[in-house]
Amino acid sequence: MNLSIYSDDKTWLHSLDPRTKLFGTTIVFIVCLCFNHPLHTGAIALCMFALALSAGAQKAIWKLRYIILMLFLFSAMLWPFFTSGKTIVWTWKSLKLTRESILYGLAMGFRLSTFVITGLILMATTKNEEITDGLIKMKIPYPLAFAFSTALRLVPTFVKAGATIVQAQVSRGLDLESRNIISRFGKFIPLAVPMFISAIRYTNLLAMALESRGFSPDMQRTFFYEPTMTKRDWIILYFLAALLFISLYMRIILNMGVVMPGRI
Amino acid sequence: MDIVVSIKSLAFTYQNAKEPSIRDINGEIGDGEYLMIMGHGGAGKSTLCCAMNGIVPRFYNGEYSGNVFIAGKQTTQYNPSDMAKRVGLVLQDFEAQLFSTNVELEIAFGLENIGLPSVEINRRIDRYLDLIGLNGMRKVDIYTLSGGQKQRLAIGSVIAMEPNVVVMDEPTTDLDPVGRQGVLSLAGLLRDGKRTLVMVDNEPDAAVGADKLWLMKDGEMTAQGVPGDYLKDEKLLVSCGVMPLQTISLFRRMNWQGDPLTVEAALELIQKNNLVQYRDRIIWTDSNVFSGNNFIIEAKDLGYRYPGASQDVLKDINFGIKRGEFVAILGQNGSGKTTLAKHFNRLLKPTSGELLVNGKQTTQYRQNELARLIGYVFQNPDNQIFASTVKEEVGFGLKVLGENAKVIEKNVAEALAVTGLEGYENMSPFVLSKGVRQRVAVASVLSVKPEAIILDEPTTGLDYQHQRGSLDMLKRLNKKGHTVVIITHSMWIAEEYADRCIVMKDGEIISDGKTRAVFADEDCLVRASLVPSPIVRLSNRLGTKAMNVDDMVKELSDESIHLQ
Repeated sequence: MNLSIYSDDKTWLHSLDPRTKLFGTTIVFIVCLCFNHPLHTGAIALCMFALALSAGAQKAIWKLRYIILMLFLFSAMLWPFFTSGKTIVWTWKSLKLTRESILYGLAMGFRLSTFVITGLILMATTKNEEITDGLIKMKIPYPLAFAFSTALRLVPTFVKAGATIVQAQVSRGLDLESRNIISRFGKFIPLAVPMFISAIRYTNLLAMALESRGFSPDMQRTFFYEPTMTKRDWIILYFLAALLFISLYMRIILNMGVVMPGRI
Repeated sequence: MDIVVSIKSLAFTYQNAKEPSIRDINGEIGDGEYLMIMGHGGAGKSTLCCAMNGIVPRFYNGEYSGNVFIAGKQTTQYNPSDMAKRVGLVLQDFEAQLFSTNVELEIAFGLENIGLPSVEINRRIDRYLDLIGLNGMRKVDIYTLSGGQKQRLAIGSVIAMEPNVVVMDEPTTDLDPVGRQGVLSLAGLLRDGKRTLVMVDNEPDAAVGADKLWLMKDGEMTAQGVPGDYLKDEKLLVSCGVMPLQTISLFRRMNWQGDPLTVEAALELIQKNNLVQYRDRIIWTDSNVFSGNNFIIEAKDLGYRYPGASQDVLKDINFGIKRGEFVAILGQNGSGKTTLAKHFNRLLKPTSGELLVNGKQTTQYRQNELARLIGYVFQNPDNQIFASTVKEEVGFGLKVLGENAKVIEKNVAEALAVTGLEGYENMSPFVLSKGVRQRVAVASVLSVKPEAIILDEPTTGLDYQHQRGSLDMLKRLNKKGHTVVIITHSMWIAEEYADRCIVMKDGEIISDGKTRAVFADEDCLVRASLVPSPIVRLSNRLGTKAMNVDDMVKELSDESIHLQ
């Protein structure tokens, strides 16, 4: 099963410089953090979803639909119990729910989903190598840039290895269907040890393979896909910078889009 | 001839190891030579390969003595990126060597590292994709390549850096026969291109095309010379854990003159010297494999599609495996063998049709009931080994199934006895060799006493003796009444051990029958990227029944008595 997120396509987002996309992602993250009203974060989430559609990233989102859904549900359901507002709607013993805290929970749900969707758009439209190249061009040291993009790349590999290990142990009778949390913890070791060992073995091989391809952290390398900033990249960056400025202005000066003042 | 690689009294002991991994290694490789290194598991072949590109001792700690010179300069004096321009290393595990998004970027990675301008990178991508037979696949996602293509890409990405020497450590071990042929013929092309090539492989037919052969045993060099000289020496090969050439074995045993290294050479000699009486080709009719109803595993119109995928990986699968059969499932990488086998103990559930175990759908069993009926040994023993002693590891299945200590003790002892692991009880499984770990994995499944045992590639990475050892053990289990199903790329293993073969291609069964009948239809096998072993190809051409050297000798000797 193919677990990789990148979709080989030629949408306008694919053709942007990786730097633009990396900056863009960061700006969207910050903009998300500016508001904690569900209408605002919801609007942002909707915008990002529309962007995902235009970038052909819906496949990636579909792959992770359960994770996005879980993140949304958990934050929408749990936040209300850990925050307090003024307008009480329901109480039971020491538990109480307020209108503000419910709205805040929804806002957080939208915010987390937006984070995941934005990250997926980046990964669905940008090759791993482009991310490395972009980071290097942004003057991030090569070892760091490479480590970052390799970490992203290894996620599907390790997920796959983990699935195989679970299957191998289930074949021997390991019962993962039972509900008991304590007995589940005991089942952790037969899974964790082989996973740990396979991860070490894999990274060891990878390091050898990298060395035999001339990888060394302190070298001067060239770029096969030389990232270049076009006029369009600059326009988008100016637009995003303006968006960031407006968002900060709205939050800090106008105090808009807030249900819980004093919270991010 | 210029000497490219020169090794002088090389020895290396890994940190914490008692014995040196290699010692007293001397040798020279000339420019443009094709060297084959063979030896048993743990003979030090990989260590020697790694010493050639300096990964030993740069990457591994240990005690290093002696020298390796590449183009006149010591490996220890090169820095990694210079070294990469001198010696390219290809590893067995192609998955771990490929880390780029698409084919062209994989080739480009090394070239970027050595600082080539992108115009030159582009030129080399064209040139080397052409050489490795992947032209027109520049933008293809690496994930979608077949095993053979992946390994050729790994080789291509190394040779694109145009190193003086290319070292390949068991590049064909994980491949199906046709993928393997592809890699071997690529090696031939490289040799014709005057590139120096060092290859580790444990199948003797690979050595036929080489200029030189080094045989290793227990970390030492046993023989160095022209392959033809040593490939004739059955005893030497077996003592180094290498399977002898079947054609040579046959000629020796029949007291025939000549040392044919290939099937073609053998046939020519047989015809020239009129060694075998001409006979009609046997038409193998299939003797009702499908009849009966005592099936332990049965598939009915089974289809499977991975969640979110757009195509079925298994289509319209129908078969029944009878109690007590020894079945081999064959087919190329990605043909659906493992996906099919994973249905047997419900690791996967059919998306259409059904899979029955003892007449009942797998979905109607509890997982731990199935674990008692069907044992499944994964390809890599390291996917399941976790305990601190062999005894605990082998008893794990029984423990989670809720057996009492007495039963565990008894079954573990039996499983250890049957797998030849007595004496290992209190050792840590992690310090054992690959072959022994594989046996621990088998024992840990056997201890539960399943009616059927499924093994995915049980012999990958084992040398000849260990392969035989494992298979003899499975045969004994089979005689005791266990149903055995193996998935394998190794043709001689299927030929010698399996009663029945199921051949898969693109998720469908294209042949299913008695092993002899399946192997008589070479055209069908080729479609599934399979090639019978030399003795069976010979047998098919001579019209004999035999599928191994022993039977062939018997069959032909009976005939000569008859003739007199």
